[in-house]
Amino acid sequence: MIYGVIQLINFAHGEVFITGAYLALSLLTVLSGASAASALSWWGAVLVAGAVAMAGCGVLGLAIERSAYRPLRRAPRLNALITAIGVSFVLQNALMLLYGATDRYFPNPIPLIRWDVSGVTVTLMQAVVWVSSGLLMLALQALVMSTKLGTAMRATAQDMSACALLGIPVGRIISVTFVIGSALAAVGGMLFGLTYGTINFHDGYLVGLKAFTAAVLGGIGNIPGAMVGGLVLGLLEALGAGYLSAQWKNAFAFIILVLLLLFKPTGLLGERVAERA
Amino acid sequence: MAAALALLLSILAVAGCGKGEPVVKVGLVAPLTGDQAPHGQDLLHGATLAIRHANAKGAVLPGYRLELAALDDQRSPTQAVAAAKKLAADRDVVAVIGHLNSSCSMPASAVYHQAGLLQITPISSNPQISRQGFKTFYRVCATDDLQGPAGALFLINDLGAKRIFVLDDMTTYGRGLANEFVKKAKALGATLLGHEGITQGDKDFVAILTKIKSVSPDAVYFAGMFPEGALLLKQRSGVGLGGHFMGSDGQFDPVLIELSGGKAAEGAHLTTIGSDIRQIPTAQPFLKEYEASFGPVGAYSAYAYEATNVALQAIRAAGKRDRAAVLAAMPTLKDIPGLFGLQNFDEKGDSLIRDIGIFTVKDGRFVFIKTATWD
Repeated sequence: MIYGVIQLINFAHGEVFITGAYLALSLLTVLSGASAASALSWWGAVLVAGAVAMAGCGVLGLAIERSAYRPLRRAPRLNALITAIGVSFVLQNALMLLYGATDRYFPNPIPLIRWDVSGVTVTLMQAVVWVSSGLLMLALQALVMSTKLGTAMRATAQDMSACALLGIPVGRIISVTFVIGSALAAVGGMLFGLTYGTINFHDGYLVGLKAFTAAVLGGIGNIPGAMVGGLVLGLLEALGAGYLSAQWKNAFAFIILVLLLLFKPTGLLGERVAERA
Repeated sequence: MAAALALLLSILAVAGCGKGEPVVKVGLVAPLTGDQAPHGQDLLHGATLAIRHANAKGAVLPGYRLELAALDDQRSPTQAVAAAKKLAADRDVVAVIGHLNSSCSMPASAVYHQAGLLQITPISSNPQISRQGFKTFYRVCATDDLQGPAGALFLINDLGAKRIFVLDDMTTYGRGLANEFVKKAKALGATLLGHEGITQGDKDFVAILTKIKSVSPDAVYFAGMFPEGALLLKQRSGVGLGGHFMGSDGQFDPVLIELSGGKAAEGAHLTTIGSDIRQIPTAQPFLKEYEASFGPVGAYSAYAYEATNVALQAIRAAGKRDRAAVLAAMPTLKDIPGLFGLQNFDEKGDSLIRDIGIFTVKDGRFVFIKTATWD
């Protein structure tokens, strides 16, 4: 999304993602300690943790944009790219110092309920992941396609200087894009922690790379495309690991990225953003 | 963790500012940060305690201040070689304790060999390292050509497993151990349903576990470390894969049970380097003091203590700050009193104390079953 608007691969996105996971972890730990008294239900705890993580990462995203990227908006794109890598390192090490270098156990308040749907086991946890990511995707799609803000975002993506000439507050639009993107990353981080049960300060790196692969796979700037890309990538990885060899699981993801960039650079569903001059 | 980092920083700070008074240094390299940091911290604590004890007995090298130079290799072979070169370049360093991972000890051993610098690994158990013929290499633990067969014997003879699926983490340690296991399991007549590798640092093993479930093995054997072991256990119960699970010494850490979410680890078996340390009379004072200073004794704490202790004995015997003299003193040391009894080394530098233990997880704790045999 950020790439779509300002043409910058935000390398720090994975770190924002894992920061969201850590924020949710802190909150869930506090909440589970207090839950005996307040009798907060599991979905209440998850919602509160998610909301706070989103808010925290939104602020973080804004801070990153203001401090690291905005001063470089007129500089060559490579400068911003290098800064993005720097921000990623800073965040990673800050997390390590704050939360420690070891894997952290992620408490999961969601009860373990299983359904057997014709031989396929589905857990409540997985249902929560699907429903929440589906809803968020629809909300984001609605925001970008049918609101004034979304129209401004798409316009900024097409031509920044023309937008500025027409009186669209380009700076503010970019900031908002960062806030929304980072808040969504926080949800992703929390769901990641809940699903796998352990998080580590450097987990964001690979997730960020895969998210980028998925976005390219689906077509940059195309929200349903990113989701489809994520699904296809996950399926290919899982099928590759299951039928060929688990040793090559991560390699599949990146082989796909390379092939796609070679043969269909616009992604599966195509770039929604019009050709830039 | 913050306390441990502070400790590390203070050690480094002390190592950096010893002007005037001559120092003699013992290096320690382990993954002090990263996902295997709990193991690395155990090594650091064990070595620290050994140095404290040696100092209490009187100066190891009269006229010199003894220091521990701790470096972080983040379980990465590249970082390990960089750390090894750094220690090799420091003339005050006369012995190195390390590394933890075989994949780090292996390339680093060549650096120490070139520098004529004594290396004692506490716990790198891949047998190939000592087969390189480096006179600088010693190790105070048993090797995987014993651990692998011991696991196979227990799984097949004691637990009655016949159809086995083998996983490893594709490291020098994991792959080497898995190969030793497979050799013995085949010799015992078990059916090997498959042998696959997973990637260290990966989080999602559902695909491979689902594949394993489809061939319904009696047992899954995993040669690797605890971060992956914990997730395998957790996701194994998630996909409903039954049967036995047997892990290796790299997973022998209470964090395994915590990270797997408690119940998922229940009933899993592990082979460990060394038998139950709590049953060894000579180790009791160490256990008490370690717990008082650093908290619970980790799987590898005692081996770091033992390795440091041997290195310090060699420095004492050499009587001077000279790498060649320390190295020459090693073969002259016989029956070194250590935690596990009297320590002796064979011509390859491997310890002659070669116990392998079998543990299981019961009620959220590791419970000792027996000292294993390997042939």
